[in-house]
Amino acid sequence: MKKIRVYASSVVMGSGQLMQGQWIKGLLYLGCLAAFVTYLVTTGVTDIIGFFTLGTETADPWLGTKGDDSILMMLRGILAFFIIAAYGLLHAANIRDVKEGEEALAQGKKLPSFWKAFRTFTDRKFYVVALFVPIVGVLILNVLPIVFMILISFTNYGGDIVPPALVDWVGLDNYGKILTLTEIKGTFFRILGWNLVWAVLATFLNYFGGLGLALLLNKKCVKGKTFWRTFPILAYAIPGFITLLGFKFLFSYGGPINYYITMNGGTAVGFLDIDAGIKAKLIGLLVNTWCSVPTSMLLATGILSNMNTDLYDAASIDGAGRWKQFTKITLPFVVFSTTPVIITSFIGNFNNFGVFYFLRGGLYNDGYFLASDTDLLINWLYNLSIDNNYYGIGAAVSLVIFIITSVISLSVYVRSNAYRKEDSFR
Amino acid sequence: MRRIRRDFAVTACVCMIAGMLAGCGNSDSTPKDPDEIITLRILENDTAKSKGYLDELLNAFNEAHKEEGIVAVDANMDEYSNLAENGPYGYGPDVIYQANDKLMAYASDKHILPISPEDYECAEYIPEQAWDAFRLQVDGESYTCGIPVNIQEPMLFYRADKMPENWETEWDDDGNGVADFFENWNDLYAYSKYLRDTDPSANKDSQYGFMASFNNLYLNGEFIFSYGGYVFGKNADGTLNTEDIGFGKGNAATGLMALRQMAGLMNEGCIDDTITSTRYEKVADGTYFCTVSTPDTYTLFVEKLALQYEDSGMSKEEAQAKAEENLKMVELPVRLPADGDLSRDSSELADGDWVESVVMGGVNGYGISSYTKYKDACVEFVNFATSYDMIKTRQEMLGIAPTRSDVSAESGDQTSELIFQSLSENRIYLMPSVKEVDQIWTPSQTLLGDVAKDSFRANSGETEKYKTVEDMQTALDGVSKNIYDAIYTLAD
Repeated sequence: MKKIRVYASSVVMGSGQLMQGQWIKGLLYLGCLAAFVTYLVTTGVTDIIGFFTLGTETADPWLGTKGDDSILMMLRGILAFFIIAAYGLLHAANIRDVKEGEEALAQGKKLPSFWKAFRTFTDRKFYVVALFVPIVGVLILNVLPIVFMILISFTNYGGDIVPPALVDWVGLDNYGKILTLTEIKGTFFRILGWNLVWAVLATFLNYFGGLGLALLLNKKCVKGKTFWRTFPILAYAIPGFITLLGFKFLFSYGGPINYYITMNGGTAVGFLDIDAGIKAKLIGLLVNTWCSVPTSMLLATGILSNMNTDLYDAASIDGAGRWKQFTKITLPFVVFSTTPVIITSFIGNFNNFGVFYFLRGGLYNDGYFLASDTDLLINWLYNLSIDNNYYGIGAAVSLVIFIITSVISLSVYVRSNAYRKEDSFR
Repeated sequence: MRRIRRDFAVTACVCMIAGMLAGCGNSDSTPKDPDEIITLRILENDTAKSKGYLDELLNAFNEAHKEEGIVAVDANMDEYSNLAENGPYGYGPDVIYQANDKLMAYASDKHILPISPEDYECAEYIPEQAWDAFRLQVDGESYTCGIPVNIQEPMLFYRADKMPENWETEWDDDGNGVADFFENWNDLYAYSKYLRDTDPSANKDSQYGFMASFNNLYLNGEFIFSYGGYVFGKNADGTLNTEDIGFGKGNAATGLMALRQMAGLMNEGCIDDTITSTRYEKVADGTYFCTVSTPDTYTLFVEKLALQYEDSGMSKEEAQAKAEENLKMVELPVRLPADGDLSRDSSELADGDWVESVVMGGVNGYGISSYTKYKDACVEFVNFATSYDMIKTRQEMLGIAPTRSDVSAESGDQTSELIFQSLSENRIYLMPSVKEVDQIWTPSQTLLGDVAKDSFRANSGETEKYKTVEDMQTALDGVSKNIYDAIYTLAD
């Protein structure tokens, strides 16, 4: 009898509970099964088939033929898999529940009433109840778009293939194009190389610029600290793109810098034009530092205020100089506390779209495919997917970006003291 | 207490789930009320909005159609918002105003409905060339997908009161009453050079002749198209062949040598958008003798000039009247030197030494979204918006060159007539009405800016890149290849 009820519930969810006399619970499980079967029959199966075919009938807006929408079908297909996974979890819970019931019965215990079981569940597993809605929200609003983006990279979506045309699965073709097509491959690796250099330099400058400023303004000899701290905060408070457009004007041919150069008999300098090359890269770093240092400064100021000044007194007695004190006391303390921030700053800089979009957008350099020599991968991704509608290849590039940033940030983090010595460092 | 809190939390969770599920049902979009108001979302261009024309149009239409239950509203979207992405999901406008290249890019993917010109009262007043900009071949059939409103080509803007006093004796060799520098580019170059050479300021930056941001294909296309260059070639049946990209065809390289030469009389502002941004003020204050822009910016030039006059002590009305009197808009000079050398004396050139200028142009018009639920109401709206009164109002408020011949004839403004004459004489290269045209702008902008910069490289000690026609040809072929790659490399 014991096994029959478990088998019954394995086949028809809730039937085991009904056989155990747990009527409400059994009916609820049965209701879920009925809802799931209804879903499968009405749309679920169609959605799953649609996920694989991505449509068979092309829409014709002129004739009013609705046709299939490949992108919508893909989304519905993903949702169908989510629902099936959720049903699978519920089914497993149903079997586990009927087994627990069997064990209780075998021990001669009376099974609790539905309401008692419900209250016990919500008490013991309150976290499940409390987190259910947020997790569903995260799955729909975060995980689903990421899965969608990843799947798009395996399709030919983009170029001429945009709705109402039907999209097809193309396997790894887009990744193949990135790695094999001469124009794309060359551009990808050039941009990737510059992107890594940019991310490292920008993070270094932002971090140490902020730390240096914070240390400077922490000095006892500095008068009017609050006043001086206001200026970086003002720079921080101005929206980033306004600052970037301001800098673009500053360095343009008609801007004040060239005005003063020409007024003094010099020749106007193309700081950001097609030949700018290294000049534009340095200006990008400078402008990014200007925009980001205030954040690092505020962070470092907060951390420095928690420093134990006795350490410095002790170090001085031991004969440590200022540089030694900085490298052995201040820096390890600040780096320990801010490693996650450095990593997020690195990722932020790696994916820093605004700087070169606003400073130097609208240029394609020779030797680059739909990109300029200052574009980062994220700018190239924008050019490909938004300006030129190559969504499939754009999604593949974004997945590559995701993998690179994940690998770098995770490997740095797990090697950092902030992770390894979380409980020991004080 | 703990138990109560948890019960409350559980109840709240159940309510939230129920709330979420409540949103999962099918929404009923079918109108329940036969008297339901039809709301049309109209996407106009930014100038029409900022100058108040859109409000004027919507108010007039809504007043005229209040009994029929049709209301037109501003779609409140970016003028370049993507109908292909928004339309299928119900977010796009019902009626969209755009240039022919943009509108027809949508139409080629059937996002814009084909229309019957005879449904529109304006049809008989609009020349065939304007309709042609909105025609599309699908499976051997020709469809019209837009209703022309106004035609655009780059025009020369100048201040009549800044003309040289002796222009009739010194700058009108043929004595036809039109200054030579408005008739051929060599004289425009010569007059610009004269102004630069006689600039009285210490820094030599107070007076320029012709000024333009050269990084703009639309405004400077004559240096390519006049010499045999083109965007896309044509198939035997007359349709566009987007695989044949012709920026380097004919003698386009020679034309770009002329552009490079002209840039030498400007400042570095011609390399980027600086001149485009400052042209209204600089023409108004007399720093630039003339500049290039499109007819729909006429009111902006007048506005700045009126402010200039006001600053000099005139009343508002006087300043406006004087600005309208002095701000002139003419077609770009129609002759360019065949050898690309602008510095040659025009009087020494025979007729065969010139090429006729071909500028880039476009026709703006209305299209009806394929995703509208109210096609008939949209036709009604477009009919209203292209009526005599509304086009006349549009012309008065925005300074456009209307495609309606009756409006342009009545207003006495010859701009439309001139533009249509140029169009019929093949002196306007209409922006191709295919979506591939989107790929031409950035590569061409990059090259044109780079060619303009070449004039300044020697001064700053850099190596010149385009010393010869062969250098220029290589660059143009590179642009054609880049455009081809952008269209086809990833298209498979």
